[in-house]
Amino acid sequence: MISLTSYLILAAILLVLGIAIIISKRNAIAMLIGVEFILNAAALNLVAFSRHGVGALSGQTAALFVIVLAAAEAVVALAIFLNFYHTIATVDIDRGDQLRG
Amino acid sequence: MLEAAIFFLFAAVAVVAGLAILLSTNIVRMAYWLIAMLISVAGLYFLMGAYFLGVIQILVYVGGVAVLLVFGVMLTSRQLAPNLRPGPLEALWLMVVTAVLLVGLVLSILRVHLEQSTLAATNSVADIGHNLLGEFLGPFELVSVLLLVALLGAAYLARPKTPVLGTQQRKGAAR
Repeated sequence: MISLTSYLILAAILLVLGIAIIISKRNAIAMLIGVEFILNAAALNLVAFSRHGVGALSGQTAALFVIVLAAAEAVVALAIFLNFYHTIATVDIDRGDQLRG
Repeated sequence: MLEAAIFFLFAAVAVVAGLAILLSTNIVRMAYWLIAMLISVAGLYFLMGAYFLGVIQILVYVGGVAVLLVFGVMLTSRQLAPNLRPGPLEALWLMVVTAVLLVGLVLSILRVHLEQSTLAATNSVADIGHNLLGEFLGPFELVSVLLLVALLGAAYLARPKTPVLGTQQRKGAAR
């Protein structure tokens, strides 16, 4: 039996990898890949908790919601990036400074 | 110890995929490494006995989200792709931030005493369905509204700003 701790550590590593990808990449689509890493780490945590401890199936159901939200987020983010690309002809997020942000 | 071997196999694939994405400069290869990570996480779900969730992971993520990302890569230009490699100062900051975060997370996980009461795998699809329409009915309805809003919002955002050539010609002909 794999212990809960090893699943949690794996999820922590995936979370940190996702954050590192978001920080290091300038391409908007690569940042979206980092977000997918973070969401998968969270879902892995939920499933591991539902297997090893509290709330028999609540963790799995919540992980289902995480997957749905990730899909919706990816669709809307890609639509925004396409709009961005049509406006300034690149997906480099550092070039999107028209609002002086 | 077959289970441990399978766990370490999938975990290694997921972590190697993350590192490969971090070091890669090719956006298409990043998308394929993302697919490798998603499939290995699905394998971990199977290992934990969450069979339905593993299938949904492959169906929705690999079949939907990853393909959507590849389409996004194809629809945006390759020649104008930004420089994907961070500068030395950025890389230093990146390493400091991620190392501190990782060490903190792992230490706190190891320090917490977690009860190891493994539950029997009660995970038939019927149970998940009852859970979804019973205890999680409110979130379920909210998510259905959210999916509708995401669909409309994506279609609205991604529509072409300038009128397509065909409609312009038709307008010219009408005049």
